[in-house]
Amino acid sequence: MHPGVFPFRLEAHHFDPAGEADRYAPFCRQLIREHGVRHVVGCTTSWSRKEVIPVVEKLDALLWYPCVYEGFEVSENLIYVAACANQHLVPLLDYIAPRFGSRAMLVGSNYIWGWETNRIARDILHRSGGEILGERFVSMGDTDIAHLIDEVREKKPDFILNNLIGPSSYAFLRALQALAEADDRFHPDRCPVISCNLYEGEIAGLGHAAAGHFTVSCYFRTIQSPENDSFLKTLAALDPGAVVDAFYVQAFSAVVMIAEAIARSGSDDADLVRAALCGQAVDTPLGAISVDRWTNHVELPAHIGRAGADGSFEIVKRSYEAIAPDPFLTSTPLVRPLGRDEGRPELKVVK
Amino acid sequence: MSSVHNTPNFDGWRALILHRPHQNVDALFAQCARIGIAAEQAWPDFPRDRSAEEFNVLLIDADMGHDEQFPWRQGEAPLPMIALIGSEAPGRIAWTIAQGADAQLLKPIGSAGLYSALMVASHSFVRRRALDRDVAALKDRLARRQELAEATALLMLRKNCGASEAYQHLRLTAMSRSCSIEDVAAAIVQEFENHGLKNADHGR
Repeated sequence: MHPGVFPFRLEAHHFDPAGEADRYAPFCRQLIREHGVRHVVGCTTSWSRKEVIPVVEKLDALLWYPCVYEGFEVSENLIYVAACANQHLVPLLDYIAPRFGSRAMLVGSNYIWGWETNRIARDILHRSGGEILGERFVSMGDTDIAHLIDEVREKKPDFILNNLIGPSSYAFLRALQALAEADDRFHPDRCPVISCNLYEGEIAGLGHAAAGHFTVSCYFRTIQSPENDSFLKTLAALDPGAVVDAFYVQAFSAVVMIAEAIARSGSDDADLVRAALCGQAVDTPLGAISVDRWTNHVELPAHIGRAGADGSFEIVKRSYEAIAPDPFLTSTPLVRPLGRDEGRPELKVVK
Repeated sequence: MSSVHNTPNFDGWRALILHRPHQNVDALFAQCARIGIAAEQAWPDFPRDRSAEEFNVLLIDADMGHDEQFPWRQGEAPLPMIALIGSEAPGRIAWTIAQGADAQLLKPIGSAGLYSALMVASHSFVRRRALDRDVAALKDRLARRQELAEATALLMLRKNCGASEAYQHLRLTAMSRSCSIEDVAAAIVQEFENHGLKNADHGR
């Protein structure tokens, strides 16, 4: 947040596995062994993270994972600087079901994120009186999604939980937009798509196809707060033209946490750095966050945003309290009050 | 145990780790705490003043474990059991199989593995228990085949009927008394032994 405040400089080494799962472990090993790196920030998919974990555990480095994921994991050599399911999916369903109904269609990409996030949604909806009208998976990268749209048209869900990633997700949203234009029943006001990982960086290219749909996130660029204002100002000088979204800010915050922990502990040793963050908050663009000593996850707010055609989110529910991480869903009740709330005012239509 | 859609919850469980104090045990304590399990360590024996009912799961040491540790017969652990395996020597694996371990965890224990072992162990324990019950019931019925044959023969004589009619009589009587066919057969044989064929004919 305040470059230059630390009495040292972090030196960045950059490797790009380009999403190839098999490149993550060798690159990570190379960074640690050949470049003396102790802290690795990266990985998006759970698949790539699972490839890197054995490397950082063996070589005693720390992986700072800056992406939402499904949970059910705690590694001693990992700091999870993003939400797990009780910090994303649960508050998202809590917001959506009372307003739109709890008859859901679940779609996802064919890997652990899609499978597990949909499974948790199924579990919650099943226990809470909701209904799963259909569940479909497509291969990663697959854009042939006509059969998904046919199923949506036939089943008329109250909402669609979207755990597709990348091109599949874009193709789906565009095809759904075409369906909504043909039949008002599928307009986002009546059948929204809800996501846990679709942010500004991706909706910018989707325009009207994303408009009106919902995302849960610990960060939106449009959040009004002194931290965010000052962060965005700093960034305008530091990295002009950056597409700032949760992925960006989580990675940025991870680096801030690394620097702060090194300053506190006087060392870049993995154990000392981790210990320096447990229970002692660091100011980051995500707010003041500390690392939970049991789970190595962080407390985070869960804001609900509604996408606009301009690539930004309108905050429809601001979360003022951070949610404690519960990666194994042991303390999060899975029976949720999801009944329809008829007294709620109509949402305004996003054009 | 549960459908694949149910998120298991081990919050409030109690685990006993039969293993000498070690880093591996510390790692298990940490994993237990994360998923809401209160863990205790003991070595070498299952504590004499404790009962298996006080625990939801038992973790045993495949490397140094021996039969005398447990207050039950080999293979009859009354709770889910997870073997902690270091040496993969076949003899040690065979020992854990003989104990009836429901799941396993490889040493060294790191930051993961317990959750999946718990899911597998609790699932196979439930299945193991159900199988044991079924086998016991089937063994009991097998053991009483002789009585069933005798009772059928007695009824055939008494009622001057065929085997299937006699058997049908046994079946209906069992239904009306809400007991097993074997129990009815035993009563008929007993009555015959007490009173002979004539008296056995009186009655139900």
